[in-house]
Amino acid sequence: MGKYQLGEFEEIVLLTVGVLFGDAYGVSIKLSIEEKLKRSVSVGALQSALKRLERKGYISSKEGESTGERGGRPKRYFQLTSSGKGAIEHAREVRNQLYNEIPKVALDLKFTQS
Amino acid sequence: MSVQYPPKFLMRFFRWFCDPELVSFVEGDLIELYQYNTRTKNRWKANWIFFGEVLKLLRPSLIKNFEGTTKLNNYGMFKNNFKIAWRNALRQKQFTVLNLLGLTIGISTCLLIGLYIHDELSYDAFHEKGDRIYRVNQPFIWGDWASTMSTTGPNVATALREDAPEFEEVTRLMSLGSMTVTTSANGNQDNAFKENRLYAADENFFKVFTFPLMIGDSKTALQGPLAILLTKKTMKRYFGLHVTPSDAMGRTVEIKQYDGSWKSFVVKGILQDVPSRSHIQFDALVSIKSESEMMQAHGWKWIWTAFATYGLVNEGVNIASLEHDIQAIPPKWAPPTTERIFNQSYEEFTAGNPWKLDLQPLGDIYISGTPTTNAFGPIGNPLFVQLFGAIGLLVLILSAINFMNLSTARATNRSKEVGMRKVMGSRRLSIIQQFILESILFVSVGTMLAFILVKMAIEPFNHLADKQIELLPYVSNPILYATTIAFILIMGLLAGSYPAFYLSAFMPIESIKGKMKAGFKGKGFRNGLVVFQFTISIALIICTFFVQKQLSYTSNVDVGFAKEHILQLHNVQELGFDTEKVKNRLASNPQFTAVGKSFGIPPYMSTGDRYRADDPESPVVQLSNLRVDEDYLDVLGLEFLRGRNFETDRENDKYKVILNEEAVNKLGWTIEEAVGKSVALASGGEEAHQVVGVVKNFNFQSVRSEIDPLILIHHQNDHVWEYGAGLSFYSMRLNPDAIPTKEDLNKLLISLEEEMKQIDPSIPFEYSFLDQEFDATFRSEQKMGTILNLFTVMAMIIACLGLFGLAAFSAEQRTKELGIRKVLGASVAELAVSFSKEFTRLVVLAILLACPIAWYFVRQWLQDFAYSTPIEIWVFVSAIAAALFIAISTISFQAIRSANRNPVETLKDE
Repeated sequence: MGKYQLGEFEEIVLLTVGVLFGDAYGVSIKLSIEEKLKRSVSVGALQSALKRLERKGYISSKEGESTGERGGRPKRYFQLTSSGKGAIEHAREVRNQLYNEIPKVALDLKFTQS
Repeated sequence: MSVQYPPKFLMRFFRWFCDPELVSFVEGDLIELYQYNTRTKNRWKANWIFFGEVLKLLRPSLIKNFEGTTKLNNYGMFKNNFKIAWRNALRQKQFTVLNLLGLTIGISTCLLIGLYIHDELSYDAFHEKGDRIYRVNQPFIWGDWASTMSTTGPNVATALREDAPEFEEVTRLMSLGSMTVTTSANGNQDNAFKENRLYAADENFFKVFTFPLMIGDSKTALQGPLAILLTKKTMKRYFGLHVTPSDAMGRTVEIKQYDGSWKSFVVKGILQDVPSRSHIQFDALVSIKSESEMMQAHGWKWIWTAFATYGLVNEGVNIASLEHDIQAIPPKWAPPTTERIFNQSYEEFTAGNPWKLDLQPLGDIYISGTPTTNAFGPIGNPLFVQLFGAIGLLVLILSAINFMNLSTARATNRSKEVGMRKVMGSRRLSIIQQFILESILFVSVGTMLAFILVKMAIEPFNHLADKQIELLPYVSNPILYATTIAFILIMGLLAGSYPAFYLSAFMPIESIKGKMKAGFKGKGFRNGLVVFQFTISIALIICTFFVQKQLSYTSNVDVGFAKEHILQLHNVQELGFDTEKVKNRLASNPQFTAVGKSFGIPPYMSTGDRYRADDPESPVVQLSNLRVDEDYLDVLGLEFLRGRNFETDRENDKYKVILNEEAVNKLGWTIEEAVGKSVALASGGEEAHQVVGVVKNFNFQSVRSEIDPLILIHHQNDHVWEYGAGLSFYSMRLNPDAIPTKEDLNKLLISLEEEMKQIDPSIPFEYSFLDQEFDATFRSEQKMGTILNLFTVMAMIIACLGLFGLAAFSAEQRTKELGIRKVLGASVAELAVSFSKEFTRLVVLAILLACPIAWYFVRQWLQDFAYSTPIEIWVFVSAIAAALFIAISTISFQAIRSANRNPVETLKDE
C-alpha cells in the first residue's frame, strides 16, 4: 500500500466520483452510493470522507451553479486528480494480485462447504 | 413547485457549528435532499431525517474551528496569555526559579502547619455522639480550690443520674494505675506485663463513646464483674501475633491486686485499637463492677478522685442552664462523705469555696490542655497551636510579599510590551487579565510543587512532631480542594493586582519611548515590603533564640540536689518480704554510693494532703507528701538547714517528719523554730507528728512550677493513711568512677534485672535515670522548639530569596550606572559597597523595628515560667549579627558579580 492510503468507504466514494464523472457533487454521490450498494449514507459521513480525500489530494473541487431546488446554494463538484486515479488503480492491482494468489482449492465450493 | 425549507432552528444550529468553508455547499446538499424527501415521504418524516443528518454532521472534521473567532469566547486571548507567560518564565529563568522556590516553600510550610493544626483540633472527632458528650470537671479539692481537675469522685456520676434527667447517660472511667497482668494461671507468671493504661469502665461506656468492638457485644461486655476488654494490640501482646479475636474471646487474664493476690478476668470482647487522636488512651478496660469491693471499702464516695465522669446530654439541652442546675448537687450529696471521712461539715471541708461542676465539651478536652491534673491520655497545648498558626500565616504572608515584590520588579521590564499591546488596540482590562492570569498560573504551579514537597516532608515531620499525620486522607476532602482553589485565586489576585493595575496604567507613548524609568517607580512600596519581611524574620529569629535558651536553661536549672547519676528502680513494692534483703544486696554493691527507698520519685510526685500545725485553730494547708526511708535523702544529697535526718537506731523516728522550707513557711513558722514543733493531718482525729528536720528547698516536681511545700514521712509510719501504697522505688546514687563506660552501665543493669527475676520473675524490670526524667518533662517543648527552628529557617529563606531577587533586579537596572562608575575609576570594592548600601539600609531598619517586637513577645512568654532565663542583650546582638550576615551575603553575591563585570560589555549597546 505504502504510497496510497484508502479506507473502504473512502475507496467507494473515490470510485463513485470517478463514475459520476463531471456530475459528482454531494447529493449525486450520496444517492449513487445508496442505489448501487444498498446502504444508507449520511451527509456527515460523506462530507467528511470527501474532505479527507481532498486533503490527501485524490480529488479536487470547484464551485458550481446554484439551483432553485437548493434554495440558491451553490453545488460543489468533485473530480478525480491524477493521484486519485493512481490510488484507484493501485487498490485494484493489489486486490487482483491478492485474488490471483488464492489457491484454486480454496475457492472450490465443495471444499468450503464440507 | 415551490421550494420547501427545513425547520429554521435546525438550519440555524447547523450554520452555527459548521465549518464556514463548507457551510454553503453542505447547506445546498441538505436542502436538495430535503426537497427529495418531502416529495417521496411525508413532511414529518422528512424533518426527522433532516434532524438526523444535521446531528450526524456534528463531527470534528466538519465543525468550525472555535479558536480565534470573535464573539464565542476569549479562548484565543487566553491561549496567547499562556504563551506569553511561558515565554517570560523561560526568558527570566532566575526570577522564575526564585519566585517558584519562595512560593513553594511558603505554601508548603503553611500547608504543613495547617495539617498540624487540623490534626490537633480534630481530637476525639470519631465519636458518633461527640457533640453531646461532656466531661465533668471539678475543683482540685485536695488543695487549691481555684484550680480544676478532670476527675471526680465516683458518686458524682450516681448523683447526676439521679438528679439531672437532661443526661441520657452518665458514665465513668477509673484509672487503675500501674498493674501487673499475666495470661497464665495463678502464681506461674512467666508471661507478665506491666500495664499503665488499664481502666475500669461503667457498663454504659459504649453508649456514650464510639470505640468499636471487633468481637463481643458492646451492650453486655462490661455488665458483669470480672470482665475485661482488650484492644487488638494488647490481645496480640498477650496471646501472640497469630491469635484471632474469636480465639481470644473467653480466655482469662490475671491481674495482680494491691494486696498481692491475683484476680482472674474473662475476655469479653476485643476492641479496635484506640485512635491516636483520642484524649482517652487505654490498652484494656475492665468492668467497673470488678472493682466494687474497693469502691465500697472506704466510703470515699465524693473524695476518691480517680474517676473521669462523662455525660451524654439529650439532644437540644441548654448546656448553660444545665451547668447552672447541677451546682446544687455537691452540697446535697457530698456532706455525708466529708463528715464520715474528715469529721468535717461540708462548709468546713470546702472552706467556703464552691464545689463547682464544670461541663467541658468533648471537642475541647484535648486542645484546651486544661485541666492538666489526672489526664487519661495526651493533652494538647493551645499555645503551640496559636503560635504555629501565627507562624504559618506569617510565612505565607512573607512568601506572598516576595512573590508580589518580584512580580512588580519583573513586570516593569515589560512596560514596552504593555505599550505595544496598547498601541495594537488592547483594552486595559485585557492587560490586567493577562497579568493576573500569569500570577494565578505561578501560584498554581507553586501550590502543586508544595503538595509534592509536603508529601515528601510529612514523614520526617511526623517523626519530629511525634504525630501521625497523613496527607492522603485529605486529598479526597472537598474542603481541601475548595480551600486550595480559593487560595490560588486570592493569592494570584493579590500578588498579581499590583503589577496588573500599575502597569496597565502606563501611557503607551512614554513606555515605548523608554521615557518611563519604570524600575524606580514603586520602589518605595517594594522597599517597605522588604523591611516588613525582614522585621518578621528577625523577630522570629530572636524569639527562636530565646526559646532555645529557655529550654536549655530549664534542663540545667539547679533543682536543689545533684540529679545526675541517680538510677531509680521501679516496682519495688512487688518484692514483698524480700525488700530489705534486696536493699542490703544493692547497698553492698561498690558501684552504688547510696541506696534509698521512697514511695514516689521526682519529678512525678503528686500526692498530697491537708495538714495543719498541731493546734486546732491553725489554718489548714496543702502539703505534698512523700514517704522515704533514712537513706533516700542521702541519695538525693539534700542539705539540712536545721535538725537531722531519720535515724535507724531511734525507734520513734518512724513517727517523726521532715519538712522543706516552703512547708515551714506555709505552716506559718520560721526555719529556726520549726524543729520540735508538730504537724497533724487536718482530717481530725489523727495524731501529731514531730518535726525533726528542715531541708533546703528542692524541685521534686517539674521545674516548670515553683517548689511546692513538702512533708517527708517515714516509710514505716503506720499512723497515717497508706499514701502512695502500691508504688515504691529504690534510688541508687551511682559511683561514676566504678562505672567508667556505657558498657559497664549496661552490665550493671543486666545484673540488676537478673537479681529481680530471681526473686519473682513476674515483676517487670523497670528503671529510669533521674536527670533524664527531668528532661522528659520538657519533651513536648523541646519538640516544639525544633519545629519552631525549622519554621524560622523557612521564614528566613523566604526573606532572603526576596532580597536576592530584588538585588538581582536592581543589579540589572543599574548595570549602566555601575559600568560608568567603573570607567571613571571606581574600584570593585567601592562599587560593591555602594551597591550593598541600598539594601543594608533596609535590613538595619528592619532590625530596629524587630527588636522591640521580639522583646515584647519574649517577655510575655517567659513570664509563664517559674524559672526563666534572663533577657540578655547578647542574644539580640547575636541574632541581629546572624540576620545581617545572611542578608549581606545574599546581597553581596549580586554586588560583587555586577561590580566585576567588564564595563565594555555593559556599556557597548544602545
